[in-house]
Amino acid sequence: KKMASKISVLLRPVKSIVVRFCPFESNVESTRKFLGCISRKKIQATNRNCKVTADVRHDGSEPLVDVMFADGERLIMKGANLTTIEMLTALGFRCKAKALKEEQKSKKSP
Amino acid sequence: APAAKMAALGGGGAPWRRGWLPALQLVRRGSKAVTRHWKAMHFQRQKLMAVTEYLAPRPAIPPRCLPPKKERAEEDDGYTRLLRRQVEEVFRDNRMIAICQYNSMPGEDVVLMRHYLRKHNIEVKFVLNEVIRPMLSQSKYKNLLPLFVARNILLVSPELKAKEMLRVLKGVPQINLLGACIDNTILSRQGVENLAKLPSLEVSQGQTVGALALLPSQMSSLLRRGPAHLTALLDEHLRRLRAGGTGSPPQPTPAQGSGGG
Repeated sequence: KKMASKISVLLRPVKSIVVRFCPFESNVESTRKFLGCISRKKIQATNRNCKVTADVRHDGSEPLVDVMFADGERLIMKGANLTTIEMLTALGFRCKAKALKEEQKSKKSP
Repeated sequence: APAAKMAALGGGGAPWRRGWLPALQLVRRGSKAVTRHWKAMHFQRQKLMAVTEYLAPRPAIPPRCLPPKKERAEEDDGYTRLLRRQVEEVFRDNRMIAICQYNSMPGEDVVLMRHYLRKHNIEVKFVLNEVIRPMLSQSKYKNLLPLFVARNILLVSPELKAKEMLRVLKGVPQINLLGACIDNTILSRQGVENLAKLPSLEVSQGQTVGALALLPSQMSSLLRRGPAHLTALLDEHLRRLRAGGTGSPPQPTPAQGSGGG
């Protein structure tokens, strides 16, 4: 079984991440752990310009992770029924795909 | 074939004495008995090992057919008890307890933040969820239970300094304020921000006193107006009497009118 802290994500194609949750609800555990994992040194070091903001509310809304990519794409993950590992792997998969695309583009252009 | 030379024991042919053991024992493939790589055991040894393998004894009744064992509550060790006692003390002694989510921060930032908060007499306490949760579920702070998931820290203080605390926390993006328990009132983040925007206690006390004192002071000034007018008129009359000596008698109508009104 994979530990959430071992999954590494390349944040280079990501512009900003907003994590919204309501701490008095009971379904926010995975979202909070996700926030804790992204804020670690290793992952933050892959992209210093990526801003991670936490939006703490008290209106009973669902926990949400809103990722804005550099090429304009947006990934919204509703964390109420997702585990931390699922969210991290989903984000990591998309980041890897985008990074590969960029590399191919930069190889083709010159 | 070279190994067959080992079998030359006792009897006939080339050896010239009984029970002759060959001086040279040639072994196939040239490796010794103790090797650095894994070497297959002799076939007889393999057979022996296979026969003498350990077989675990099977219980007469499979364990899933038996009634389930009741789980015994784990005993506390002294360290957990100490931590729990400390947390209870914290909840008892401080007026303001703020709970924040802690995402890993570089060490120097932690020290700096602690320093700034210490200046306002706010202490930073790192807490373990497994210590706090059972304690909270038994005390009156049950509604704080869902907050204690993932890594948290407590900011405790005997004074209410919400504004300064928010200012320091704004400069630290990795710590997110989740909620607070101020004067036995549970507040969300919005509540803490509203509390910080309120004027200080002395100012609001002064405002209340001023508002309460306004009406009686208005009433007293109204009541005083009549007699004050009368005294003013009498003074004027006296002044004229002294000055002229032939002063006309005072006109009673305005004094009566203001006295009655």
